[in-house]
Amino acid sequence: MKRNGIGALVIVPLLSIIISFLIGCMIIAALGANPADAMRYLLKGSFGNMRNIGTTLSRATPLIFTTLCACFAYRCGVFNLGGEGQFIIGAIVACYIATKAPFTGFPAIVLCALAGAAGGGLWAAIAGVLKVWRGQNEMIITIMLNYVATLLMGVVYTNWLRDGSVPQTVAVPDETQLASFFGLRATVAFPVAVIAGIVLFYFLFYTSSGFQLRAVGLNMTAAKVNGFNVKRYLLMSFIVSGAIAGLGGALELLGTQLRLINGFAAGYGFDGVAMALIASLHPLAGIIVAIFFAALRVGSTTMQTATGVPTSVSDIIQALVIVFTVAGMAMVKLPEFKNWFARRARKEV
Amino acid sequence: MGSFIANLLLATVRMASPLIFLSLAELYSQRAGLVNIGIEGLAAIGSLTGFLISLITGNPLLGVLAGALAGILVNMIFAYATITLCAEQIVYGMAINIFAPALAAFTYRVYFGSGSELVQVELMGTMKSMFGIKSDNFFVNLFLDQTPMVYLAYILVIVTAIYFTRTKSGLNYKAVGEYPKAAATLGINVIGIKYLSCIICGALAGIGGAYLTTCYSKTYVDGNVAGRGFIALAAVIFGRWSSGGVLIACLFFGFCDALQIRLQLVNNTLPYQFFQMIPYVATVVVLAIIGAKKAGPRASGQPYRKEER
Amino acid sequence: MRKKLIAMVVTGAMIASMAPTFTAHADSHTVAMICDSSISDGGWGMACYNAMMDAAEKCGWETMYSDSIAQSAYYDTIVSYCDLDVDMIYAPGNQYTDAVLQAAEEYPDIAFALLNGGADTPAKAANGNVSSLLPDAQQIGWIAGALAGLMSDTGTIAFIGGMELDTTLAKYKGYGEAAAFVAEENGKSITLLDPVYSGDFSASDKGLEFAKAMMDQGADVFFGDASAVDSGARQAIDEANEAAGEIKVYDIAQPADLLGQNACVIGSQVTDNSVLIELSMKAVEEGKFGGETLYGTLQNGVLSAGELNADVVPEDVQAAYADYIGQMTEGTFLGGSETEAE
Repeated sequence: MKRNGIGALVIVPLLSIIISFLIGCMIIAALGANPADAMRYLLKGSFGNMRNIGTTLSRATPLIFTTLCACFAYRCGVFNLGGEGQFIIGAIVACYIATKAPFTGFPAIVLCALAGAAGGGLWAAIAGVLKVWRGQNEMIITIMLNYVATLLMGVVYTNWLRDGSVPQTVAVPDETQLASFFGLRATVAFPVAVIAGIVLFYFLFYTSSGFQLRAVGLNMTAAKVNGFNVKRYLLMSFIVSGAIAGLGGALELLGTQLRLINGFAAGYGFDGVAMALIASLHPLAGIIVAIFFAALRVGSTTMQTATGVPTSVSDIIQALVIVFTVAGMAMVKLPEFKNWFARRARKEV
Repeated sequence: MGSFIANLLLATVRMASPLIFLSLAELYSQRAGLVNIGIEGLAAIGSLTGFLISLITGNPLLGVLAGALAGILVNMIFAYATITLCAEQIVYGMAINIFAPALAAFTYRVYFGSGSELVQVELMGTMKSMFGIKSDNFFVNLFLDQTPMVYLAYILVIVTAIYFTRTKSGLNYKAVGEYPKAAATLGINVIGIKYLSCIICGALAGIGGAYLTTCYSKTYVDGNVAGRGFIALAAVIFGRWSSGGVLIACLFFGFCDALQIRLQLVNNTLPYQFFQMIPYVATVVVLAIIGAKKAGPRASGQPYRKEER
Repeated sequence: MRKKLIAMVVTGAMIASMAPTFTAHADSHTVAMICDSSISDGGWGMACYNAMMDAAEKCGWETMYSDSIAQSAYYDTIVSYCDLDVDMIYAPGNQYTDAVLQAAEEYPDIAFALLNGGADTPAKAANGNVSSLLPDAQQIGWIAGALAGLMSDTGTIAFIGGMELDTTLAKYKGYGEAAAFVAEENGKSITLLDPVYSGDFSASDKGLEFAKAMMDQGADVFFGDASAVDSGARQAIDEANEAAGEIKVYDIAQPADLLGQNACVIGSQVTDNSVLIELSMKAVEEGKFGGETLYGTLQNGVLSAGELNADVVPEDVQAAYADYIGQMTEGTFLGGSETEAE
């Protein structure tokens, strides 16, 4: 039974991806294009050469951070939908330090990263406090705080840190920008994201604090009975997951966007939640899922220009993957489904 | 100055109308225990469908109906996943928010190809224009320079208030959101009411979206819902889950929006974004003050499994 | 179960092996346009797109475009076209400057034509592969302002901008000074309301609300450069005129001749960007592209005044307007003091 459970966690997302792609191919065929061609160019655009791979990884980096943020929070029983807000706050903090601090270069990068993480963590703590002491639904609170963060960023780039005529902030000084690999677009932020994923994985599954956090997430009442300080764990989960997102925001600013601008990070938070669910809340799988989605986004432009299939087909495929996976995951947890599965297993024996 | 205030109030009513539909959609959903944050996406698909149908038929009213239908259809995905499959509601609403706007953008692109013509539709006429009234009196404008949809919005608020407080059926409906198990033992069809709530919610959200393209703006652009779905979510919380409260919340948020637009006209030192924040901050503050026990229907957000008998 | 997994892996491998080597259009030239507004916005995006199509048709180029892209995606989109080996990137707007400069540094072999780029922008490009196509913003403002000065009855005129760009500010200034000058010559006085900026180019509802609020302040002639936001403003103006039973509030369109699109449009300030794009395409074909600023003025025919709405604009005003446009072309407008392009 346990093996079947784990199998479902892998099979449901894979099946969802296949079905979504099949539907996508049908749409493409209905538009009069050749689906095989379209898929080929999609792949070519995302992984066709070193440059494209670099672009895909650079696009995946912020998604990895928000995915890890969601993975960690959900593992600990905290439904943090505020990855986007925390990401943005991290970027705002980093933007202030990078452009205003009297020093540049490596020390500035380290300070930006730490302060960005702290900023994200504190922003998440608002929701944490309301959840722990007022018993409020953290999902609603974090959604609202996302909007507040986005609007606050708007004030920063149209007002407080505005540079010249275009509503955007000054660019991060050259020395404080993150180094990129072999002239590709991916920066050191990518390995940092991967390392963060590995650290999270190790922490959650191979340390006793990680075990305790997961225990709280799995069954809060039992954890309470066993003498865990549940409130402390919950608040800590908020802060750590917010810090991961905030770190991501800071690195995205220093590595890729270089300035705060309209549309920065739009949708990254919800994307992260969806990807974490598709990855069954496994940090390492989350990295792969984020790269997969980034590839779909990067490759769709090549697909559009080469075959005339609009990029929104790629958006629909991505959305369908989410729609099917979340429904599928819920389905395999249903008692009817479990019974049906158990009966079949017995028959085979 | 008098005309400034008069026009501010007119703008408030204008901005609040689509919010009322969307908030009522959310209210009906939450009253049956379903927190649907996918209103934004449902409105997006409703907005596009309303636009296309009123363009094709030349009849904005048909556009509104089609928008409602599109909202229902998409919301049935949400209904099946959250009611039958017991998927996490907020997460699924989020999936709808990613899916429905993508579908709308795709449909628009496919329908219009890469033409660069500006497509405009005829908007629904206001009562004032229908009866050929010429007066420019403030009260005439407030009460008569409105499309039939605006009256519908306010009628729905009243009907909803009566339904939930004065009718047996409405009390049964509310019971599903509060104590589903108890309701089931009393013979109430819990699953049926939950599906019904999704139909009402989809229809109202679709109408709210279609309002934007049949009564408000002659053109369609991707993203024209512009966060109204989430403001509606805020309005339901701010209005404390009652239809009168929701109306007040919508008018208040509409007022903030109207004021914010006018503040941009004068060189103001206070950034206008702070006014746009009001609905969201207000919601967080309200939640922080009222505490969990009073925050909405008790079974809100929880899956209902028949099998746990 | 294992069989299924193997099947999946095999399918994946098959798709991967199909990936071909892809070279875009080796024999002909290609231009790609990026745009933050929609190309069917009935304003800026539409005119810039049509200009590219016209120029491409004349030169036999292929075209690609991405529209309605977010500000944060400018660079990403430009780069994805560069990776397809297009010959020229066409970015219609000052707001793309930073993204274009960044991409131009990484792709020295691709030409970047920046419409409304600064006069100093080409010099900032390390590889000399950026050209500014610069319609004279002051003259654009003049063309609209002279008509506004002639037509305003209330003495209050308005301007709705997309972003607070230098070029937009120059248009606003030219609009105000021309209107004031013309009004004074005709014994009137003009107040130009502070400019408002929509901040994005697609929120037509914002244009609607802006226009309503500005009409409340007495404005009766509108000009702007905010794409779909302008369409919203025109809708609001049309509604106000309908309610009043006559056309009393006017809109001056740009950058294409939009006479007839809305009842309130009394004339247009026309910018024929296709001439400038064509020049750039020719330069690319001859291998001479880069590092210049191509000005567009009334004098070289890139700028002009569109047709006037004869039902609304009286004949004597039409004549006077034609006279002012003549003065601008000759360089004697405003006493000829400020004829240099900024």
